[in-house]
Amino acid sequence: MADLLQVRDLTTHFFTRDGEVGAVDGVSYSVAAGETIALVGESGCGKTVSALSIVRLIPEPPGRILSGKVLFDGADLLQLPADEMRLVRGGKIAMIFQEPMTSLNPVLTVGRQITEALELHQHMNRQDAFRETVRLLKLVGIPNADQRARSYPHHLSGGMRQRVMIAMAISCKPKLIIADEPTTALDVTIQAQLLELMRSIARDLGTATILITHNLGVVARYARRVYVMYAGKIVEHGPALAVYHDPRHPYTVGLLASVPRLDEPRKTRLAPIEGQPPDLVSLPRGCAFQARCSFYSGGCEGQALDLLEVSPGHYSVCWQGRKGREEWAKT
Amino acid sequence: MGEDVVVRVAGLAMHFPITSGLFLQRKIGLVKAVDGVSFAVRKGETLGLVGESGCGKTTVGKCVLQLYRPTSGSVFFEGQDLCRMSEGQLRQVRPRMQLIFQDPGESLDPRFTAADIVGEPMWIQGKAQGPAYRERIAELLSIVGLAPYMADRYPHEFSGGQRQRLGVARALALEPTFIVCDEPVSALDVSIQAQIINLLDDLQQKYGIAYLFIAHDLSVVRHLSDRVAVMYLGKIAEIAGRDALYQEPLHPYTQALLSAVPIPDPAVEAKRVPIILKGEVPSPINPPSGCVFHPRCPKAFGPCPTVVPVLADVSQDHQVSCLLYPPSWPPSAPP
Amino acid sequence: MTEAAAPAPVATVTRPRHTLWGDAWTRLRRNRLAIAGGSVIIVVALAAIFSPLITPYGFADQDLNSIMLGPTLAHPLGTDELGRDVLARLLYGARTSLAVGVFTQIIVVLIGLPLGAIAGAVGGRLDNMLMRFVDVMYAFPDILLIILLRAVFGGSIFMIFLAIGLVAWVNIARLTRGQVMSLKGRDFITAARVMGGSQRYVMLRHLVPNSLGPIIVVLTFNVPRAIFAEAALSYIGIGVRPPTPSWGAMIRDGYDLIFANSNLVLFPALSVGVLMLAFTFLGDGLRDALDPRLRR
Repeated sequence: MADLLQVRDLTTHFFTRDGEVGAVDGVSYSVAAGETIALVGESGCGKTVSALSIVRLIPEPPGRILSGKVLFDGADLLQLPADEMRLVRGGKIAMIFQEPMTSLNPVLTVGRQITEALELHQHMNRQDAFRETVRLLKLVGIPNADQRARSYPHHLSGGMRQRVMIAMAISCKPKLIIADEPTTALDVTIQAQLLELMRSIARDLGTATILITHNLGVVARYARRVYVMYAGKIVEHGPALAVYHDPRHPYTVGLLASVPRLDEPRKTRLAPIEGQPPDLVSLPRGCAFQARCSFYSGGCEGQALDLLEVSPGHYSVCWQGRKGREEWAKT
Repeated sequence: MGEDVVVRVAGLAMHFPITSGLFLQRKIGLVKAVDGVSFAVRKGETLGLVGESGCGKTTVGKCVLQLYRPTSGSVFFEGQDLCRMSEGQLRQVRPRMQLIFQDPGESLDPRFTAADIVGEPMWIQGKAQGPAYRERIAELLSIVGLAPYMADRYPHEFSGGQRQRLGVARALALEPTFIVCDEPVSALDVSIQAQIINLLDDLQQKYGIAYLFIAHDLSVVRHLSDRVAVMYLGKIAEIAGRDALYQEPLHPYTQALLSAVPIPDPAVEAKRVPIILKGEVPSPINPPSGCVFHPRCPKAFGPCPTVVPVLADVSQDHQVSCLLYPPSWPPSAPP
Repeated sequence: MTEAAAPAPVATVTRPRHTLWGDAWTRLRRNRLAIAGGSVIIVVALAAIFSPLITPYGFADQDLNSIMLGPTLAHPLGTDELGRDVLARLLYGARTSLAVGVFTQIIVVLIGLPLGAIAGAVGGRLDNMLMRFVDVMYAFPDILLIILLRAVFGGSIFMIFLAIGLVAWVNIARLTRGQVMSLKGRDFITAARVMGGSQRYVMLRHLVPNSLGPIIVVLTFNVPRAIFAEAALSYIGIGVRPPTPSWGAMIRDGYDLIFANSNLVLFPALSVGVLMLAFTFLGDGLRDALDPRLRR
């Protein structure tokens, strides 16, 4: 399958007073046309920064993309001149953020914000753009779409605003949508509505999606392939089923064990990952997870952090990853 | 309900006026954030309070602690009605009922050190003297899993999980019998959430503290609670023992909530068909008539838009407020 | 393997430690203009305090044999029409200016901070009443009020402090109220109430200390305004009484003789300008340094 997007060895650092923060450190991933992948990890693991680096929205300074390639549709986005990059952003690649209020202009009607994009990217005239906007708002399930198009962002609820963001994202028929925690600020019933909507839209329009989230349940419902990030690196990736049922990195094992599940009998005690995420300014030698790892063994400091194929299409950076958790537990 | 009840809330209502005008403020409406809520929390147990944003669960927590003075109803704490107490009298009771906040960064004064934060309840209550005070701080820090050398650090030097531990230590300082936990883990990362949940669990076992655990995450609530109340638009929709509620939810809203929670397992998810509710939560300024849930309810039928259901026992320790169940019919309008 | 029951192991923080004030100081230190401004203020203050050591002349010593001199070795900045040493008068005048700057701000803080804090913390009707009073004070023309106060209470230098202070406190009151109101909704204030802290306790322990940053900035900006106000008062002849020197009075006196000896205007005017700029730069630096949004 031809990849729509290939990120290779992407490295983005932030230069702060406390030192150089390796927010994203040699990250590679790929998305096929029409495919949905998920980047999972906890705050500060670099999942958002890696996605913002793709579309070059890293604030500089303090951030800087130090190296890597982002091959999209045959071109390296990191080498594109700024004005061509602007056409890619919002045109071929659309973004949906956690808090729609920050990405909507409060003094423009929601309709105007969509027609503006249509006029810019699709060269439509005003009337056509408005008609298209109403059609899009209907498509994302906004009732009374032609009236809603004339209202301002603050008149809408959080769920409705996120629907507007989705309408805006799909307005230019993008090939890729980057959705950064799109449902985190919303309630579960609204989250369920929106995930259903995003799934049907991606299916109908053939759009590829990168879903960035910390919620393991959302990933399970939504994504086919999963990349797990920890401390700026991808520590494990593979088909969702394989990663969830046979995790080969102790961090993934820990994450899955630490969330209570509604479909299983209630445990008397949760099994958290002890300790705190590491300080990205001063990472330990070798594996960044070693201090919290319950399968730590003497060899962990000296290991190179390359992704090893542990089963077809399933990779882990843990040097003991071929063993799996049963064997880890024995040692 | 006998003497083992720590907190009993009866007919609690909190209505916020909406005013307009600069000088002569006129009331132009009422937000019925909480409207007739009753429940009890027993000694050493956890009552989970779940619902979506705007359902009034946080307001209930603040009313119980009298941070808002309720519009009507009573809150009995250890047998005394807090709603009839003056601020001065309340200050005497406050040490025994504490609060743990959602955002651990927001809830700590940025200019206080860890020792000051944990020790503050003791100064306020005039118990901060001598070496015993320093010892108590060190003890509290170690109870919540922080090292004593961290006592002189400021909140911004701690990670989110550690800040929440500080918040817990502060709540414990005065040896309360009851703690309101208002979304205590929702701002934390998954792996850290489990640490704090276990900590809260351990403390309850050790000190027999009762919790009112307010959260929107149903799986976390199931893990920690003995009984669970589900709120919708200022009212309790269903309240039951944990296993009864999660295994046999009766109210259509509870059923929809439970089915909307994604399960972290792709194989399970592939087979599930979540109940997708129509529309959004209506405004509490102008709530729907009859049963407040009827516009979104997949099982709504004839009387729902007109008859207001009452919260009533459907089985042993399982109360529901839904017209599908005959006990919920108000006496004036028989089914 | 007994790991699970033990309290969570805690990772040591390896970064250098910062307190909030320490952080602000680090940021301030990196702002060259602010440091330059601060240095100028310190130099002027030291010169004012130790002026008898710098110049042999008193501010009122007249030497009728050397009138209206240009700069000479004996009189580095020359002399005025009464034969008084300009440098000596500038140095002693600095005392007046700095005293005006500092004491007015003390009065401002003493009135504005408690009123603002109480209005913000208590709220309701009291807040409404206090703030309407502040509005009235705000709307009243400053210079007119000062002239009135001077006319009623006479002309000691303390009356100048009082007069300038009495018109300047409204800004601080408003600012403090705004700060307190925005802090009041924060969780750590609720936390203090839950512990049983009284309103007074919450105000003194949490609300006021956390409001100080912006207040300090505004006070720093207020100082040059007060200095200028004193200079303006002296210029129109209702400032300090002669022979006490003040930079404003020196400018006024020199103005009549500007064609005979322009130094008499130039030096005090330069001094006022430099000191005001110094406070403004320092205030700018403090604003950036104390802004919590810049924390990283």
